[in-house]
Amino acid sequence: MRYVSLQKNKLSQFVKSLQKKYKVVAPVKKENLFVFAEVEDPEEISIDYIPTILPPKKYFLPQHEKLGTFVKDSVSMAETNIDVEPTVLFGAHTCDIEGIECMDIVFHDSPLDPYFGKRKKSVIIIGYECMKPCDEYATCVTMDTLNPRAGYDIMITDIGDKYILHLNSPEGIEIGKNALFGKVTNERDMKNKLLKLREDKLKNFKVLLDAEYKELNKIFKGSYNSETWKDVGRKCVSCGNCTAVCPTCYCFDIYDDVKLDMSGGERRRVWDSCQLDEFATVAGGENFRKERSSRQRHRYYRKFDYSVIKYNKFFCVGCGRCTRTCMADISLIETVNSLTKEQKNAK
Amino acid sequence: MSDKKNKKVRIAFFDFADCEGCQLQLTYLNEQLVGLLDHVEIVNFREVISEKSDNYDIAIVEGSITRKHDEERVKEIRKNAKIVIAYGACACIGGVNGLRKKFTQQEAKDIVYKGREFPLEAGEPRPVHDVVKVDYYIHGCPTNNEETIKALKSILIGKGYQPPTYPVCVECKLKENVCLFEKRQVCMGPVTRAGCGAWCPSYGNICYGCRGLLDNPATQGEMDILKKHGYTLEELTQKFETYNLCRMMGEQNEPKKS
Repeated sequence: MRYVSLQKNKLSQFVKSLQKKYKVVAPVKKENLFVFAEVEDPEEISIDYIPTILPPKKYFLPQHEKLGTFVKDSVSMAETNIDVEPTVLFGAHTCDIEGIECMDIVFHDSPLDPYFGKRKKSVIIIGYECMKPCDEYATCVTMDTLNPRAGYDIMITDIGDKYILHLNSPEGIEIGKNALFGKVTNERDMKNKLLKLREDKLKNFKVLLDAEYKELNKIFKGSYNSETWKDVGRKCVSCGNCTAVCPTCYCFDIYDDVKLDMSGGERRRVWDSCQLDEFATVAGGENFRKERSSRQRHRYYRKFDYSVIKYNKFFCVGCGRCTRTCMADISLIETVNSLTKEQKNAK
Repeated sequence: MSDKKNKKVRIAFFDFADCEGCQLQLTYLNEQLVGLLDHVEIVNFREVISEKSDNYDIAIVEGSITRKHDEERVKEIRKNAKIVIAYGACACIGGVNGLRKKFTQQEAKDIVYKGREFPLEAGEPRPVHDVVKVDYYIHGCPTNNEETIKALKSILIGKGYQPPTYPVCVECKLKENVCLFEKRQVCMGPVTRAGCGAWCPSYGNICYGCRGLLDNPATQGEMDILKKHGYTLEELTQKFETYNLCRMMGEQNEPKKS
């Protein structure tokens, strides 16, 4: 059994049933935007939402995280355990699920990050498929993150009269045993129906990038010295918003927080950003990316080239958050299209 | 310092031209202040104790330096102390006192004391580092106790303290606040030094820039953003000036980078 159905008015009941066993985090409204937050009452959930301020990466790599404690005069860490409550991440979009997949590759690469690993194991991911575009900033069509592929336990798809849930893991199948769900008798028919639905929904989405998926990396290969970076650098105020909101930016800084009685302390990590002045500054004061233009360029290359070299994967999931959050109007679409134009003109 | 087991570090507080609000913040530390007292002895602290001493290791100086007499006093403090910490916006960047620089001394007197006798001496407001060498800075109007404790601990274990060089936005975004620009409000966050945990924006207020401009602010970028939101150059300058006029009018010395 890989598919089950759910009546549309039963979504809240489904969430309530999950809450018996799990902490449920889901998109909720925050002023005019949305955030992932723990829900008490399922009615708080805004299932029709545009990407949240911060992506759900905060449940796998929290903004501030304790890595362990140490005591004075001892060189080893006293304790490195972390407690993670079993959690359901409810209503994640496919772009954000792809973001978690990217993080997963990085943190499971050697050396494995045990904190991320433990959190990843403790979170059940229940996705919610987008049937219409969120706004004019998302590039999920080109980045090929519009449709569910992998990385989730359950995917909820609105097929019009009801929801279809794709159960994609042993945990997902276990949750699918709930009496709330109806049976899907012909699984092959359902699979075809979903494929057709995904073909049809494409016409609702605009293609905003001028380059195609397969051209993107090549464009970046030729754009390192492009004038576009200077334009982007002139606008940038180095606030670090673009990296904080990026589902695949994972850089962090580590520091020790000593107790007031000086008997020991905690080792902690906090999100860092390649956009900040000091990020690439080394001992002696040399800064390898002193200019804002070079820092912005670095961010783009981490998404469209370096990750391709290292993991054979784009680390842009097309969620549009970096553009949406930028008060200086630095637009990923404009930047990439400008590079595309330059490259095509150069030919 | 911390390895001199039997000797507590002696700390003294001094205030100059300011409201003493930053010293008052420290009294809110309650039990934490008691914990700190295991390692330090406070010998001058007008807000809390009446005893006074000239024998101290660390001088925490609050307020901007204005009169000749203050200049001499802070130089004396510098002589006595091993470490001088500028504490709060007035001490670190001149703070709101800097607004006085928009007028001549006579103009300012006329505005404030219109038609009345003015028997007091006045001078030019300056951050502490314009008069004596400052070792560390704890910014803010008022200072944030979390940062103060962090800084004091770091200084006591001999590591020193370097306030963030990045803007308030960094801490604000980590708290997942809705950006004030999103709400059509003008915020100084993008050009103001972080370290306060985005204190004001987290409670729905704009950032006024009390922690001072960044060492390397994207002034043009910020101006462009503010202009885009329909603000005139005059309004923008006013926003910058509230706390940063001393720096904008050119300090004698650049703040020391530790």
